[in-house]
Amino acid sequence: MSPVKQRKLRLSSAWLSFPIWAWLLFFIFIPLGMVAWYSFGYKPGLFSPVSNSQLSFDRYREATSGTFVKTFWNTLEIGLLGTALCILIGVPFAYWMAVKARPEWRGLLVAMVLVPYWTSFLVRTIGWQIILAPHGFLSNFLQDIHLINGPIEVLYTRAAVQLGVVYNYLPLMILPMYVAFERTDAAQREAARDLGAGRLKAFFSVTLPDALPGLLAGSLLVFIPLMGDYITPSVLGGARGNMVGQMLAQQFESAQNWALGAAMAFILMGFIIVTVLLVGVCFLTLRAGIRWTRRLDLEGVV
Amino acid sequence: MKILVPQASAPRLTRRALLGGATVIGLGALAGCTDRAYAPTAAIDGKPEDRLNVYSWGDYDDPANIRRFRRVNGIKVQMDAFASNEEMIAKLSTARGTSGYDIVVPTGNYVPQLIANGMLAKLDLSLIPNFNNLEESARGRAWDPDNEYVVAKTIGTTGFVYDTAKIKTKMASWSDFIAAAKGAAKGSTSVLDDAFELASIYLAANGHDLNTTDSKVLEQAREFLVNDFAKYIRNFSSDPSQNIVQRDFVLMQCYNGDARLGIDEGDYDGWKFVFPEPTANLWMDNWAIATGSQHPDNAHAWINFMLEPEVGFKDMVYNGYPTGLKGQRELAEKRDVDRLDLIFPPDEVMDRLTAGLLTKAQGALVKILNEVKAVAGS
Repeated sequence: MSPVKQRKLRLSSAWLSFPIWAWLLFFIFIPLGMVAWYSFGYKPGLFSPVSNSQLSFDRYREATSGTFVKTFWNTLEIGLLGTALCILIGVPFAYWMAVKARPEWRGLLVAMVLVPYWTSFLVRTIGWQIILAPHGFLSNFLQDIHLINGPIEVLYTRAAVQLGVVYNYLPLMILPMYVAFERTDAAQREAARDLGAGRLKAFFSVTLPDALPGLLAGSLLVFIPLMGDYITPSVLGGARGNMVGQMLAQQFESAQNWALGAAMAFILMGFIIVTVLLVGVCFLTLRAGIRWTRRLDLEGVV
Repeated sequence: MKILVPQASAPRLTRRALLGGATVIGLGALAGCTDRAYAPTAAIDGKPEDRLNVYSWGDYDDPANIRRFRRVNGIKVQMDAFASNEEMIAKLSTARGTSGYDIVVPTGNYVPQLIANGMLAKLDLSLIPNFNNLEESARGRAWDPDNEYVVAKTIGTTGFVYDTAKIKTKMASWSDFIAAAKGAAKGSTSVLDDAFELASIYLAANGHDLNTTDSKVLEQAREFLVNDFAKYIRNFSSDPSQNIVQRDFVLMQCYNGDARLGIDEGDYDGWKFVFPEPTANLWMDNWAIATGSQHPDNAHAWINFMLEPEVGFKDMVYNGYPTGLKGQRELAEKRDVDRLDLIFPPDEVMDRLTAGLLTKAQGALVKILNEVKAVAGS
């Protein structure tokens, strides 16, 4: 290929990549840069949400001091527990869908997971508000069959938020896990069974390690949007299911303090990044540990 | 004068802030497109435009009225809703007259700042002959003495509802509210998601002025609300009528009209509303035209339409708040409107209410609300 031709080719691929760069610039880098800039400012008066005439880290101090930091920890707890519950429910379900269910049903099963997800996030969440209402049909029914003595008191508690986030983000765990399980090799499972592994051992030693990329992708897809969720705690949460997303929105809307809101947004991002890194490090250490303890010496075989 | 002089805080934020943000990225040129001044309001030419954009509180206007205005004038009416004055102001101030909204509905205490910051267009009262239908008491209020910018829409006050099946004691004051929240309604108390109203509970119960700017009193309010009261709060409500219908809580701070709406829509007889002693917020929402409105003829026609006695009456029956129009109470009595005592507080109550102001304490109040939320959530 002549050098001229190569140059032309590169130019055209540069053009092809233009949309992604424009998107990154205008929708990620510029807005993030502005939020970062605001976070060093302050609120000058009742009618001005932000001013940058004096720059300081005071907003970060304000957001991490005393009462606000509790909300960050609450959110982290809800996020970690929610992701764990999604794994507990999503992994067996995805395994069943991909491996156990009859192949001609799989399309239908995927549709059953996906179709509710197409409904508006808000509408799905409000649906739970109706189900959980203390004098709603579920509560009345449970009282009629004498399972409970008084009205259910789940709505506007942290339990309701926990339930809501698991319900809302579960498909994001099931789908990557389904794809990952579907790509695992049935022959390997068979080989494991032939070599004496029980069902559980075959699953944990062969199938699950093969599907780990799916588990990681699913956990990230669930955990990251969950941490910034605003709708679920607003609809189901009440005072006790308070999450950072609401606190942040409140700073930008009713409190009109964009500087503090921007600082909170960056602290939230920090929380997410640190958690993801920590989990990643734990995971790698664990895997290295398992590999080391179970390592096979194949020298003699050759 | 307690109301802040707002010139000093004129919102230069958008241009400067945008410019600053953009400089960080190295794209100063981008910021050039924001103009310092507000976009001009279109001229009134006596010819109706083809549409009208109304920005009001959620579920605040009888849809039947809106349909009738559409039909009579043959124009499109676009309704949009906000949940707090701050939210509405944020949109107006960042859009600088290009929000597209013609009609906005600010609460009285926010009006001086809106005017001073040029967010409202002047009214032409000659196009609003129905202005004369308003009672004297609803005209020329402190925030706009000559009604140059705003016209009364709705008057209301704050109180609380409680479930008489759960709370058996006599409930008459904010002190009773606090006692019940810690006692019979423990773990089932809801307060309004509003900084002024939350602080009012403490201030009224302890005999302070609701508009106090005394930093010692505010610190006491903070101390009580954050360290003592917050843990008893189950919910910060922005839609109390829905909570009343669903019987979500036993004790709920709410506005009188929302209480009526919720009690009427639900099928539970146990609710009771209290106009608490010694005082509570007396507020008034107002019709106004946003600076930069492109449909000023329609906007004036809308305000005039809303001040017709029959139209105002419908709105009052719908949202449960008096309109300040003459003769509405008599009309309501004649037509046997339900729960009149909730729409029109008795004179004895009206005499002891306090008109809430926007003071320099607002920042402190918002901070208290945020802290209370953080504590209640943990």
